[in-house]
Amino acid sequence: MSRPFPYTYVSCPCANTPVPDPAKKRRSRDSPQKPTPERTDPDDKDNKKQPENTPEEEVDEEEEEQTFDPRSPRSNFSLYPPEQLLYCEDCHQIKCPRCITEEIVSWYCPNCLFETPSSMVKGDANRCGRNCFNCPVCTSPLSVSTIENVAGKGNGQGPWVLSCAYCLWTTLDIGIKFDKPTNIRNQLQKMTDSTSAPTFDTRSRQGSRAFSDLKSPLSNLASFDEPVSTPTGSGEQVKENETDSPPLGVEARFAALKNFYRNQISETSTSPNDPLGSDLGFSSPGALNRLMSLYASSSRLGGLYGGNKKQKSKPPVMREAINASEGLRIAPENADAAIIERLSSPDCGWDGVASLSQRAEQSPDVRFVDDLLPLPVLLRTKRAKRCKSCKHILVKPETKPQSTRFRIRLIALSYIPLPSLRPLALPTSSLIPAPAPDLNALPPLRPVHVLLTLKNHMFDPVRITLATPSVTPGRVASKVTILSPQFDIGPNSDVWDEALQGASAPVTTDPRAGGLRAAEKVPEAGKVWDKGRNWTTVVLEVIPGTLPGSEADAGKEGIDEDEIAVAAQQDEDVLEIPVFVHMEWDAEAQLEQQNVGKASKPDDLVARELAYWMVLGVGRITAAL
Amino acid sequence: MSATSSLRHSQTARPSSPHTPQQQLRSGNTSFASTTSPGSSFRNEDDAIIFEIGTRWLRAGFEGNGTPICVKRFGPEESRRVADYRGWIRGEAGAGPLLKPMNAEDWVREYELWQSDLRKADLGLIEDKIERVFRETYNQYLLTDAGTSRLVLTLPALMPHPLLSSLLSTLFSRWRFPSITLLSSATMSAAAGGLRSALVVDLGWAETTATGIYEYREVVTKRSTRSMKSLMQEMGRFLSGLASGSTQEDTSDEDISVGFTYCEEIVSRFAWCSPEAGESEAQSETERDISIPSPKNPEHEYTELPFSRLADPVEKVLFALGTAENELDDEEKSIPLLVYNTLLSLPPDARGTCMARIVFVGGGSRIPGLRQRVLNDVQKLIDRHGWSPIRGQALERQRQRMEELKISSQKRTQTPEANGDNTPSNDDSKPDPSKEEPELDFVEQKLRRQNKDTPIPVQGILREVESLGAWAGASLVTSLKIRGMVEIEREKFLQHGLAGATRDLEQPIPDRRSGLRAGDRSSWTLAGWA
Repeated sequence: MSRPFPYTYVSCPCANTPVPDPAKKRRSRDSPQKPTPERTDPDDKDNKKQPENTPEEEVDEEEEEQTFDPRSPRSNFSLYPPEQLLYCEDCHQIKCPRCITEEIVSWYCPNCLFETPSSMVKGDANRCGRNCFNCPVCTSPLSVSTIENVAGKGNGQGPWVLSCAYCLWTTLDIGIKFDKPTNIRNQLQKMTDSTSAPTFDTRSRQGSRAFSDLKSPLSNLASFDEPVSTPTGSGEQVKENETDSPPLGVEARFAALKNFYRNQISETSTSPNDPLGSDLGFSSPGALNRLMSLYASSSRLGGLYGGNKKQKSKPPVMREAINASEGLRIAPENADAAIIERLSSPDCGWDGVASLSQRAEQSPDVRFVDDLLPLPVLLRTKRAKRCKSCKHILVKPETKPQSTRFRIRLIALSYIPLPSLRPLALPTSSLIPAPAPDLNALPPLRPVHVLLTLKNHMFDPVRITLATPSVTPGRVASKVTILSPQFDIGPNSDVWDEALQGASAPVTTDPRAGGLRAAEKVPEAGKVWDKGRNWTTVVLEVIPGTLPGSEADAGKEGIDEDEIAVAAQQDEDVLEIPVFVHMEWDAEAQLEQQNVGKASKPDDLVARELAYWMVLGVGRITAAL
Repeated sequence: MSATSSLRHSQTARPSSPHTPQQQLRSGNTSFASTTSPGSSFRNEDDAIIFEIGTRWLRAGFEGNGTPICVKRFGPEESRRVADYRGWIRGEAGAGPLLKPMNAEDWVREYELWQSDLRKADLGLIEDKIERVFRETYNQYLLTDAGTSRLVLTLPALMPHPLLSSLLSTLFSRWRFPSITLLSSATMSAAAGGLRSALVVDLGWAETTATGIYEYREVVTKRSTRSMKSLMQEMGRFLSGLASGSTQEDTSDEDISVGFTYCEEIVSRFAWCSPEAGESEAQSETERDISIPSPKNPEHEYTELPFSRLADPVEKVLFALGTAENELDDEEKSIPLLVYNTLLSLPPDARGTCMARIVFVGGGSRIPGLRQRVLNDVQKLIDRHGWSPIRGQALERQRQRMEELKISSQKRTQTPEANGDNTPSNDDSKPDPSKEEPELDFVEQKLRRQNKDTPIPVQGILREVESLGAWAGASLVTSLKIRGMVEIEREKFLQHGLAGATRDLEQPIPDRRSGLRAGDRSSWTLAGWA
C-alpha cells in the first residue's frame, strides 16, 4: 500500500449493508439503513422510522459473522483512513463518504480563490471564468505574459499569451494571442468556440467568421418558419451547402441541431387546444389515415404532407436535417487520408499526438497536440454533509473559499479510539536494545511484536474488545495473536486532572511494569502493555507467513522470482491484519450531549456500543528467510 | 442472451403512430406545471443530468450541452482505497512492461466496469464502483447536488437485467433521484446526427453492434465480437512480440507482457487503417518508420518500426484479414460483413434509407481510415453479391443459365426498390447505381409534383453521416423535453424493482399534453430493455 507502514484503516460498517434489490424484498420501501447490529438503545429514533427493517438486520447479523477480508476487491471501497470518517450522533454510527449526502455550499476556483456565484457556475461550464488556465499538455497552471516577456525583452505591452512555466508551452504554439491581459476566458471563447472542427493546416483561427455564420441561423430561427426554403428539388443539394461553409465545431453543430429539432417540433405538433390530438392511438381515424397513407407511399420522409391543404387532419411529419445549417454533416471523402499522412510524417511523431489524458478534457475531435486548447481551471466546491439516514448535519464548512474553518464538524475520531501502530523492539540480548524491525522487509516465519495503541477522545471511559482471525486471510497466511484482547481506556478528561493527581507515573495496571525500564518489559498474554490517561497499548504477536514461490514456501526448491514479483505487484506480500473492534461505554442521555464530561447523575447514563472492523497494515513480507 | 429476441420485438411492436413523442416546449411549461406538485415543478426547472455508461467509459454532463462535462475512464486506479496515492507516486499502473505475461482476458478485466458475462461477476463490486464513480463525478465535475434533478442514462440497448437492476438500485438507494430515464444509445446517436433513420455502427469495447434504426425505432441489431477489446488484445500481443524480439506472425495464443495503459496509448495514437483494402503498393508515407516508446522500457527508450505495421492489428481484428468468410462464426463477422448483413436483413425501404445514413460511433470510429475502409468494403460486397443472401456455386451456374437465356435481363431484374438495387452480376455494363436516376413509378411522380418544395431524401447510396455521439443525442433529446419511453419513477422502482415494469407492450405512449404526468401513469415499462 502506498501509505507508509505501519498504517491503520477503518472499515465503515455500511459495507455490510448490501444495496437492497427492491425486486427481492418488495416490502421495504425505505432507503437502506445502516446496520445497527447490537443496538440496545431504548431511545433510538431510527427504529420508529423503520419499523420493518427486521429482515435486513437478520441478513446483517449473518454477515457479521464473516471475517472481514482486506484483500477482497470490495473492501477497497469501504476502508478509509480513520481521520476521514465522520460520526453521526443521532444514529451513533460511523459515517463514510458512502453513507452521507452532500450539499454544495459554495463554488470557488482553486487557483484564484474567487467564489463563483451559483447562478454563474453552469454558464461557465463549471470552470473558472477569469484568467485561470491549466496547461493542456502538462496540466500545470498557465500564467498570462506578454510576448516580449517570453522572448526575454519585456516592456509590459503588446499582445498577451498564456504560457506554462513547467513545460514552456504557450498559446503561441497554437497561434493564439490575446489583446488584453484580462478576461482571457471570453477572448479565448470568441476565438475558438465555433471554429471549425480541428483542422490540421490552419494556424489562423478565423473562427469569428464562422461564428457569425452560425449565429445568424440561431437568431433567425425565431422567425424561421420555412427552413426548407433552400432552393432544391434534387437530392444533391446537400453537397452544395457543404462546400461553401466550413464544418461547424461540436458545440455549433449541436446548437444547429437543437434549433432544427425545435423548429420541427413546433411545426409538426398539433394545436395545443386539441387535447386528443395524439392521444387516440389507433382508434382514431386520423391516425389510421396517417398510417395508411404512410404505408401507401414508398418515401417515408416528412414534408409529404407538409403543405397539403386538402387534408387538414393530417399533421405534418417531422423530417430529418438536410443541410449543414441544420446540423447535418456528411463525412467528407478521404478526410482520414490527411490524418494518416500526418500521423506518419516525421514532424508529428509520438509527442505530436495528444495522449489519452490530454484528450480527456478536450473537445472529442482533438487528435494532435496542436489542437489542444488551454483549459480553464475546474471549479471546486465546499460541501455540507448530512447523514444519509437521519439527515442530521455532520459537516458544515464556512462559505468563504479562503476560510478553512468549519461550523459543524463531527469527525469520527472524536468518538472512536484512534488506533496507532508501532513495532516493538524486543531486547534480544541483555545490553543492546535491538533495532526495531524493518517493516518494509519482514522476514517470514519470524515473530514480530507490534504495539497497538488506542487513544480515546471521548469523555467517557471505554471498554474495548478486540478480535482477529488467528490466520490472516489471503494466500500469505500470517498468524496473529492479540495478547490482551479486552481492556479499558480511560476518559479524555482534563489534562490537568492527570497532572494534579500527583507526580506518580502514568496509571498502569501492571504494578511490576511501572518499576521496570520499558526495554526490559516482556510481552505477556493477558497483560496490557502500557496505559495512560486516555490511551492503552496492547501487544500483537505476528508470525508473518511465507510468500508463494519463495524459498520458505514449503515443498518448493529455489525461488520463483516471477511469482514473487507478481505477488508483490498485487500487494500479496503486504501484511494486513483485520481486527474487529467492539467498544462499550456509558454515555449520558442525548439531551446533555453538550456538557458531556461534567458530573451528572448515573441514572442518565445510557449504555452504548459500537463495533467495526479495522485493518492494521504492519509491513511487507520479504521472500528470503 | 435470451432477451435478445424479445427485445427486438418489443421495439418494433411499439404501437405508436409515426409521430415524434409529444414534446413539451419550455413555453408551454407553465400551464403544465400547475397540475403537478410544487416539488416536481421546481425540479422541472433543473437541468437533467445525462450519463452515458459503457464498459470502459463514462460521460456526464448537463442537458442542452453539446459536449459532456467530463469523460472518465475505468481502470484499476479507480478501485484503489481512499488515501492510496500510488498512482500518483509510481505513475499509472500498466504503463511499464508487466512482470509476468498475462492472459489476454485477465489483462483487460481490471479496466472494465462490467462484463456482459455475469457468471463470475461480483455485482456488489460493480455496485461499489458505480457508486464511487457517480459520487466522484458529481463532486469533481458536475458540481451540483446529486439526486436533486432528473437523471438520464444512455445505455446500450442490450443490458443484462442483473446489471441494469444493480445500476438502478444503486442510484435510487444512494441518492434521491426523482426519476431515471433510460435512452438507447444507438437511437441517440442517430438523433445526434440529425437523422430519423440510420444504420448506427458502434465500434465499442466489448462488441461492435450495427443497429438499423428506422424512424427512431431500432429495427434490427447485429453484433460482432470484433471490437476494441480484441483490437487492444491483438495490439498487446503485437507489442509483446516486439518486446521479446520474436517476429513470428501467429501470435494469437500468446500472453501479453506489455502494460495495458501503454498499449492503449499506442492504439489511441497510432492505430490506423488503410482506406482501401489490400493496398499493398508501397505508398511512401506508410513505409516510413515512426518511433514509439519501446515496449520494454516505455519511459526512457524509443523503438522504430514501420508505420504500416501498426495497421496490421486493425486489419486482422476488425476486418478479419487472412480468415475466409466461411470460417467466421456468426458472432465474429468482420465489420464490413456485419454492416452488410445488417443492411441485408432490413426491409428494402428501410435499407435504402439506412444505407445512405451510416453513422459510426464508439471508440473504434476514431481510428483513421477505418470508416472509409468499412464503406469501401461494404460497397465491394454489394457490387459482388447485391442484396441477396444466397451464395455458392449453384448461384453461379444459375447466373450463367440466365445469361444464356438473356431475356432482357436488365429490365427483369430491376427491382422495384427505390434505390434501384440489382440482383448481382448481370450489371457489368451498368453505371454506378448511385449516379443513375432512380426509376419513378407513377405514385412517386405524383407525390413529387405535390411536394415540390420538400427535399427528396437521399437513398440507395452508401453515405456516412457524422454524429455527435450518443451522449450529445441524449442531451439534445432531453433538452427538447421529449419524454422517454422508459422513465422510472423512484417510488415505483423502490417498491418492486425491475419486476415492477409492465410487460404489456400495448402501453399507451406517454402524452404530456393531456395533463397526465408520469406519476399518474399507473405502470411503467422497460420497453427495449425488458
